[in-house]
Amino acid sequence: MKSEYVWAVIIGMAIANYAVRFMPMALLSRIELPKPLLRFLSFIPVTVMSALTVGEILRPDGRWLAPLSNPYLFAAIPTAFVYYKWRSFLGTTIAGILFFLVFRALVG
Amino acid sequence: MSGMPVTTVKQSPCPSARSSFTRGLKLGLPIFLGYMPVGMAFGILAKTQGFDALQAVVCSATAIAGAGQFIGLSLMHAGESMVGVILATTVVNLRYVLFGATLSSHLGSTPLLGQAALAFSVTDETFGVNIDDHRRGLANAYSMAGVGAISWLGWVLGTALGATAAGFIGDPYRFGVAFAMPAMFTALLVAQAEDRRHIIMAIVAGVLAIAFALLLPGKWYIVATAITASAIGAVIYR
Repeated sequence: MKSEYVWAVIIGMAIANYAVRFMPMALLSRIELPKPLLRFLSFIPVTVMSALTVGEILRPDGRWLAPLSNPYLFAAIPTAFVYYKWRSFLGTTIAGILFFLVFRALVG
Repeated sequence: MSGMPVTTVKQSPCPSARSSFTRGLKLGLPIFLGYMPVGMAFGILAKTQGFDALQAVVCSATAIAGAGQFIGLSLMHAGESMVGVILATTVVNLRYVLFGATLSSHLGSTPLLGQAALAFSVTDETFGVNIDDHRRGLANAYSMAGVGAISWLGWVLGTALGATAAGFIGDPYRFGVAFAMPAMFTALLVAQAEDRRHIIMAIVAGVLAIAFALLLPGKWYIVATAITASAIGAVIYR
């Protein structure tokens, strides 16, 4: 990758991501949002996370994997349980990687 | 909402700016620990996909975009145009609009300059911790700044470690870091599926995500899913 291209993307990402964070905070603190819009927005976090999880697990690196030979899918199940039980992001990430290594050796 | 395990930190009834900030640092410690390995994964992947170490670190330090950065990497690797990459990473993080909007209603007494500084560190996890803290009536601009600072540090430090150690480590996939992000997403999903309606919405979104991923190119299924599923939720749960 060209260095100028990488730097241009980095600067653009910084500006765009900051704008997305700050503009609503600055503007909306002065406006009352309509109830239906608030309800719509309240479901954004859970639906984004669900889409991301499904995509990353069933189609890692943009390639669909057959369910029975997909180590991501197998690893995700105990990973979800670990978070549910212990509520630790660090512990869950590490445990998930270990589950993944095991299932990759078994089915991947 | 992230459901991060939050340590209850005691404070005096009239906290000073410094004690609030320190309290925020402590509250954000689990985020620091959670961000380190994912930041490392980003650093390693960025390095293997043509970034140098400085670029990886600056990208993390200025964008703090999590999934957006990973998506940016894969799109850049696929030769996507500059505008395309920036647009995709930003659209994926459009949910920050919601976070910013929600936090804004609790920052009425904070001057615009203070809001401008706090906006920088808004993520899923800092939002979750700060809103939770606010529910207990403890959060203020200084504690939020503390949460943001420690989280930023974890993300940037992790990236730096990953980017500089990538040369020694070699193929990161050997160590299973490919699963670091899916593991984090899985945990965040479980954290956000806090009640029946959120569990149902997670399932609806999961099914829609498969359909959209089959129909749409690249990562556009994420935005398509979030907008469609949230609209369904807004209609069902009046």
